[in-house]
Amino acid sequence: MRASDLLGREVLDRDGIRLGVVTDLRCVLDGPLRGGLCAPRVEALLVSRHRTGSLLGYDRNEQQGPWLLRVLVRLLHRRLTVVPWTVVETSQAGPLARPLALRVAAADLPAAEGRRTPG
Amino acid sequence: MTVAAGRVIDLHLHLLDRQVVDPDGRMVCKVDDLELELDERGRPYVTAILLGPRALGPRLGGRLGRWVAAIGERLAERDRPVSRIDFSLVTDIGSAIAVSRPRGRLDVIPLEDWVEEHVIARIPGSRHESE
Repeated sequence: MRASDLLGREVLDRDGIRLGVVTDLRCVLDGPLRGGLCAPRVEALLVSRHRTGSLLGYDRNEQQGPWLLRVLVRLLHRRLTVVPWTVVETSQAGPLARPLALRVAAADLPAAEGRRTPG
Repeated sequence: MTVAAGRVIDLHLHLLDRQVVDPDGRMVCKVDDLELELDERGRPYVTAILLGPRALGPRLGGRLGRWVAAIGERLAERDRPVSRIDFSLVTDIGSAIAVSRPRGRLDVIPLEDWVEEHVIARIPGSRHESE
């Protein structure tokens, strides 16, 4: 599997309601030790209704400027959802165009407190 | 940003499209895609950096992506898999991705290596004066 197999994929909740598309993969460096670093392990999917501007990172880190661009991008991504990997139906995580399905309803997902990216 | 164990990063923001540099500070490639494997609990983790047009093409998608991948396929040696740098060689994730092996020993960009050795190196003044 490649990262690009997950990025850009549509995400549907348990009831088939569209949450948006995967704009990034939030990882923790606690995977298997490979050389000098632990491998980044996917902890959650960042899901937004829009793709535009997400790669700038302004939707996640408040410390970045310029402020006008940051405000616009954050407005565009105000419904950023952090979807824990544990609620993703992993049987569908292959290199297919199908949407990713979740085991929970959108309302049961945690609030997007993970909006901030650790620097 | 130097990354220690337990730190959190966003793959797209902090890894994809970043420059990979060798221990001598020479530019190796860009991170075109990342290879993931599932651990024993079904959680994906990064095993390698993928590079080259055959890695970038599918990520771009659409007609442009197919063209890039097709050109890469045409230029690649027969049966040669997509170029990859094992994640065990990564020593730091910052504004660039540092790897522990010199560029010449990574064997990930054979066309560029061949051109450098057989064409660029023969141009007078192509090497640094101190080398």
